[in-house]
Amino acid sequence: MCPSPAMRMEKSDFRLTIPSQTRYLNLVTGLAKRASQLAGMDDSTAAKVSIAVDEAVTNIIMHAYGGEEDHSVELDLRFTETTLEIHMWHTGVGIRGNQIVLPDPKEYVKHPRKGGLGLLLMSRFMDEVRFSEEKGRSECCMIKNIA
Amino acid sequence: MTDLSIQVRDAGSASVVEPSGFINAHTVRQFEGALETLVQEGRFTILLNCRELNYISSAGLGAIMGLIETVRENKGDILLCNLQENVFAIFDTLGFTQLYRVFPSEEEALASLTEQA
Repeated sequence: MCPSPAMRMEKSDFRLTIPSQTRYLNLVTGLAKRASQLAGMDDSTAAKVSIAVDEAVTNIIMHAYGGEEDHSVELDLRFTETTLEIHMWHTGVGIRGNQIVLPDPKEYVKHPRKGGLGLLLMSRFMDEVRFSEEKGRSECCMIKNIA
Repeated sequence: MTDLSIQVRDAGSASVVEPSGFINAHTVRQFEGALETLVQEGRFTILLNCRELNYISSAGLGAIMGLIETVRENKGDILLCNLQENVFAIFDTLGFTQLYRVFPSEEEALASLTEQA
């Protein structure tokens, strides 16, 4: 289970705040990839983590903030002995658990449509994805186990 | 370094689109624009050569998905080749490898079109 958001940073934390602008996606995904490699993941797994982070941050910018560029997205990367935790906070419209509908890839192939693929990639490429709200902020927490 | 550059060239009946860099929510309009221009020009057979594509997010997949019906209705198709491992993983995870024909090389993809003709 995702730990609740902690306001103080641990020694093994890395925190970054970016404006809610897609121009920073490349910066964030590059960081996520390097962090995954630093945590001991192979290049293939690190690439998947970076894609999941791209999708999560894109969802925040485009959906939680509706594309408005004057907000911020806070990322907190936490290294543990067995996992890499990536926490992303924002103050936009949060996703509630009961709003999450993952497309079934088999059905998707039969009836292709735009949308819904980002959450599917996040859930397939990470070991745990959770959404929560606390004190006026929403969080997306993703965890990848280190093999 | 720019996030995405796109080269487009003709190869017989097909147009080869070669994106280099990253296709994500920031660059997807550029990618979508390149594909839409081809369709508007009546170029309905499009080969995406992904050898320089570092990654594609769901935004980019949506752009491809948005045009597939139009090109197939016009007896064309969108083919893929030279997918890097992580790009293939994205396509495969979402079932796109069942929706699109994927080839190891540009030559094999173009040869399949010649055989088909």
